[in-house]
Amino acid sequence: MPQTTFDVFRYQPDTSDEAYRQKYELEHGTDLTLLDAILRLQNEQDGTLAVRYSCRSAICGSCACRADGKTVLACMTQVEDLKEQNGGQPVRVDPIGNFKPIKDLVVDMEPFWNKFKSVKPYLIPDGDAPERERIVSKEAMQKIYNESKCVLCAACYSECNSLAADPEFVGPAAFAWGFRFAGDERDGQRSQRAKLYSGEHGIWDCTRCMYCNERCPKGVDPRDAIEKLGGIAFQEGIALRDAGGRHAKAFLISLRTGGKLNETLLVPLTQPIKSQFDIPFALKMISKGKAPSPIPHKVKKLDEVKKIIKSVKETI
Amino acid sequence: MHSHDVIVVGAGLAGMRAAIAAHEAGVDVALVTKVHPVRSHSGAAQGGINAALGNATDDSTDNHTFDTVKGSDYLGDQDAIEILCGDAPGEIIQLEHWGAVFSRHETTGKIAQRPFGGAGFPRTCYAADLTGLVILHTLYTVCVKYDIPCYEEYFVTELIKDDHGGCAGVVAYDMVHGTVEAIGAKAVVLATGGAGRVYAPSTNSHSSTGDGMSLALHAGVPLKDMEFMQFHPTTLNPSGVLVTEGARGEGGILLNKDGERFMTKYAPNKLELASRDVVSRAEATEIMEGRGIDGSVLLDLRHLGRDKIMERLPQIRELAMAFAGVDPIDAPIPIRPGAHYHMGGVHVDSWGAAPHMPGLFAAGECACVSVHGANRLGGNSLLEAVVFGARTGSAAAGFAQDFNGRGIQARPEHGYAYEAKLRALLERADGPRQHVLRDELANTMQEKVGVFRTGEELEEAKVILDRLRDQFKGVVVDDKGKTFNQSLIHVIETGYLLDLADTMVCGAIAREESRGAHSRTDFTERDDENWMKHTLAYQEDDEIRLEYSEVTFTKFEPQVRSY
Repeated sequence: MPQTTFDVFRYQPDTSDEAYRQKYELEHGTDLTLLDAILRLQNEQDGTLAVRYSCRSAICGSCACRADGKTVLACMTQVEDLKEQNGGQPVRVDPIGNFKPIKDLVVDMEPFWNKFKSVKPYLIPDGDAPERERIVSKEAMQKIYNESKCVLCAACYSECNSLAADPEFVGPAAFAWGFRFAGDERDGQRSQRAKLYSGEHGIWDCTRCMYCNERCPKGVDPRDAIEKLGGIAFQEGIALRDAGGRHAKAFLISLRTGGKLNETLLVPLTQPIKSQFDIPFALKMISKGKAPSPIPHKVKKLDEVKKIIKSVKETI
Repeated sequence: MHSHDVIVVGAGLAGMRAAIAAHEAGVDVALVTKVHPVRSHSGAAQGGINAALGNATDDSTDNHTFDTVKGSDYLGDQDAIEILCGDAPGEIIQLEHWGAVFSRHETTGKIAQRPFGGAGFPRTCYAADLTGLVILHTLYTVCVKYDIPCYEEYFVTELIKDDHGGCAGVVAYDMVHGTVEAIGAKAVVLATGGAGRVYAPSTNSHSSTGDGMSLALHAGVPLKDMEFMQFHPTTLNPSGVLVTEGARGEGGILLNKDGERFMTKYAPNKLELASRDVVSRAEATEIMEGRGIDGSVLLDLRHLGRDKIMERLPQIRELAMAFAGVDPIDAPIPIRPGAHYHMGGVHVDSWGAAPHMPGLFAAGECACVSVHGANRLGGNSLLEAVVFGARTGSAAAGFAQDFNGRGIQARPEHGYAYEAKLRALLERADGPRQHVLRDELANTMQEKVGVFRTGEELEEAKVILDRLRDQFKGVVVDDKGKTFNQSLIHVIETGYLLDLADTMVCGAIAREESRGAHSRTDFTERDDENWMKHTLAYQEDDEIRLEYSEVTFTKFEPQVRSY
């Protein structure tokens, strides 16, 4: 029978303000999920161990936690797989990141729910509803299918590097929901939503680390949703109000004109006013040979690059 | 002390639909729930929701009504079933208007419909195999839009009675802070879902512990038809994780170890799409007679092909891979019947009102109207939750509006009294552990009160149950703290499960016939003369007392039921 050591984050506010770690040993069969392991520990060894859980079939989103540092749904993670990945070390179990613990693996989700609510996560259609269902093509409905699979488990939020730097960042899950509505052809608030999501702590503050896509247990790909919201912001003509949007636009302009990144152009296009004050600094850099050439490079097959840009545009 | 016009206990489909209806009727309504609304077990429903929209083929609410009556083995009340099926199209369209991401018909762009068990027409609307999740989310977004207050992670422990025997609110335990509060109300709606965790394995979430049914039972309100527990034909072994009926609706077939499509013997016309009780009995028979594989039979989807599986059943593929190590594109899935849905519940009328306690309402799986009778059809539970959730919410709002200023009679003292009980429980240093009692209960129910039942085994179950209930009186709570004390919650839930099991076993012992999901090998026939009636179970002096009530007929006379 396999035996596993679990090295568990403990926080018991009733008895101490300090968090600590505790090791538990468990003998078990080869087929054991991390959630079942935790529940066995709770039942058989330590009734004070706390974890949120419910459906145990990867749909309710309650049991996200970190196993060996990576956020997972405990119910769909096999203990033996974790041991195979960590080389038979004790399995480290921690609460999800970017949250304050309430007790052990249970965290205070309130900021997450508040941010979810802040994206107006409900359909706001134009005009009166028809008598029957609205007619929507299969393809149009498919466009928001990925985002509508989100179970709000906060695995993405746990992994988000932008949130680690800026706790006010709205976060990947909320923006996935934002796209679920902004991309829904039945919704009438596309432009207003683009504006709402482009504000401070909004879509342009995403660092594109892709961890949300990588760790989402349901394949929602929140980063893709953020990207699609960026696209909508451009289509609605509001993207250039934000430095993040202008930065993206500067990339496009430099690709279109030279086929590669023109860093000299990047700064003034992203921060047109602020960059004026940086001119003396830029001149100093040039004089020391630390700045890229102000004359843009051009790739040989610029036509090919333009073709790629065109075909990308057509698929959006 | 907080108080509201209407309190809805539970925030799954029925609870949120009720809260939305009450809000729209103009009263102050609040949700009280032990898990965040989106964690509710409604989200685990996969295959779909029935309505005679006629988008796939011609259909009518009369057809839907007949299929449901027949599916119920004629125990469903036909007036209530007419409401269920009649209101169905309107409710689905309402959900669509609120933004539900239903799958769409290939050419017309209308809501797509798939075939389901026991139905004469493709009537089941769906969102791939995530229908429950999509509808749960849709209702939650409406609650957010309406800013309906929600007491999250509040566990309701008692109903408060007023001087006239009416319901005046609830006592609730704030799980995060470990405090007890009385919350006053003019009307209370119970919508806490099922009690599937009476069994192991079960498709139900760990949170499905029948809380609302127990609250009602303890307040003197009878529970109806509790002996009828549905066993879903396709659950994974050993976890009990659900595989949607939609898998068979899309063309999946069942095979025994010899590769024989055994449903040809049991339901030659409808085959795999016979009603659930019929398919579950067929599987159990195959397994008992040695034609299973390690206690399972096989659900084969391979012939559907990768594309259809990926488009229509993506979650099933994910679950089969995660929990059974099988990719249904390449291999059949081992499955077996597992406890799934409670046809029984709080005895209410077709407005969700409990006749035994003014001001108390119930909706969804927690309630028994009864629209499912002795066996529920797939796709009718989400439907019941929204149709009767809406009706019950508006009825509760109406009750609150006609309250005549008698004043809410809940007092903070109701909370203090319960807090003292909890303190005494927490002070107990030693005793039986809840999980030991709960495991023995669930295993006993599985073995002795399962797909097939006999008087002898039911009596044995009753003896074990009485012992467990006795042991429970000395139960110990492991965690003595205030913050998120799950040990305490588990103890209370185990007490609920034991009491509900008692109503189920007593009802099953008494019902000497086979009807729907209640199949007795010692009384193999349906006995309309003696048993065409609802069971009402009361708890009095810790014992179950049974009464019976009439079944309502409108159009359909009982016939021999075959598929």
